[in-house]
Amino acid sequence: MSGRVIVITSGKGGVGKTTTNANIGTALAKAGNKVVMIDTDLGLRNLDLLLGLENRIVYTIVDVVEERCKLKQALVKDKKNPNLCLLAAAQTRDKTAVTEEQLKDICEKLKKDFDFILVDCPAGIEQGFQNAVAGATEAIVVTTPEMSAVRDADRIIGLLEAKEEIQSYKLLLNRVRPNLIKSNDMMSVEDVVEILSAELIGIIPEDTGIITSTNKGEPIVNDEKSLAGRAYMNVARRIIGEEVEFLNLEEETSVVARVKKFFKGLVGKEK
Amino acid sequence: MRDNIFTELYNKLLGFFRQAEEEESAKDVACNRLRVVLMQDRTNLTPQILERMRGELVELLSKYLEMDKEALELNLEQEGDQMALMLSIPVIRAKDEEEIEQALAEEEAKKAEESEEEAEEVEEVEEVEETEEVSEELAGKTEDVEEEKNTKEFPNKEICGDCNECEFSDDIECEKKNSLKKSKK
Repeated sequence: MSGRVIVITSGKGGVGKTTTNANIGTALAKAGNKVVMIDTDLGLRNLDLLLGLENRIVYTIVDVVEERCKLKQALVKDKKNPNLCLLAAAQTRDKTAVTEEQLKDICEKLKKDFDFILVDCPAGIEQGFQNAVAGATEAIVVTTPEMSAVRDADRIIGLLEAKEEIQSYKLLLNRVRPNLIKSNDMMSVEDVVEILSAELIGIIPEDTGIITSTNKGEPIVNDEKSLAGRAYMNVARRIIGEEVEFLNLEEETSVVARVKKFFKGLVGKEK
Repeated sequence: MRDNIFTELYNKLLGFFRQAEEEESAKDVACNRLRVVLMQDRTNLTPQILERMRGELVELLSKYLEMDKEALELNLEQEGDQMALMLSIPVIRAKDEEEIEQALAEEEAKKAEESEEEAEEVEEVEEVEETEEVSEELAGKTEDVEEEKNTKEFPNKEICGDCNECEFSDDIECEKKNSLKKSKK
């Protein structure tokens, strides 16, 4: 088996890299793939929280690099899905604790046992970014329809294009608000795609469900009714190679759709 | 009184609709600002270089136009797939032919002056080198060499090469030189 190594990056912080990582990883595993997620945000780890695995971590990536444990010992299995693993970041160390070569090495080893290796990249364009990108051959650039996030994404795309190892990169537009786009108060999906001239792999709507799912430590893809969950599931299917149409967010979030959903919910409960 | 109320209302209504028409949407503002910023991010043109370009353009254009130099804008913008350099100049008035010719003549004179100065500088450097060589060869005869150098520095002889003050190079007229000679002796 030779897995695909995908780095999930953004440049700007707070646009939803880690949430995207947790959801795409869970979705890929749900589709029957063996998935491992690597958190490379040393000192500021969060992926464990989003997956609800914070109490199960014994060894981290730094322990693997410094040979205090074997690579397999450090992989934490997900509660629900045995196909999903996490290699956590160390919380007490900084970005210099792991080098590019070491991360490359870890990715090479994991490729043999997993279909997908998702690397969660820290914000910024410094060494942390360089490390995270080192072992990857594909990238997903997460951005939101805000000026600062788009600008940083452009910078990241420039850096990714300069890397020979990165064969392809795709754009994931997060926290899209159809109502604001409709009233011309927010840049539309088309605007961002045109400005960055990058291929799109997903459009995720802003969803308050993300907050509750984070609080519960359970990725939103597990909630099949939620719009964001469905959008993330579609991203995973596109990564696998299926052709999936983008959700029509304007329709999905309209009042009519909500009323329909409400009645559907009632009918569902009666049954 | 009534008139006033109605006209006010009319104006307000008109103003409201006009505003709605003219005001750019937040989305358009964001898109345009982003495009400009990204153009700058993507090129290697630093703000310093752009500023220099601006200065040189002002110098060039002010030969032909009288313009508001402060309000001149120079920006990189996206035009489809291509990058465009947009120059916006508030022109006060175009200069007439005489003025343009005068400006051109001034410039040429300036250029000629500069090139002369440059040439002189080069000559001087060469001479200094020469004199150094000479002084190495003829150690002890430094006085003669110095005199030679001084006269060469002022080939038009308008200013006395010996004291650098009076306008005569004639030995008799230059008192300072005479006194210098005396002291040397």
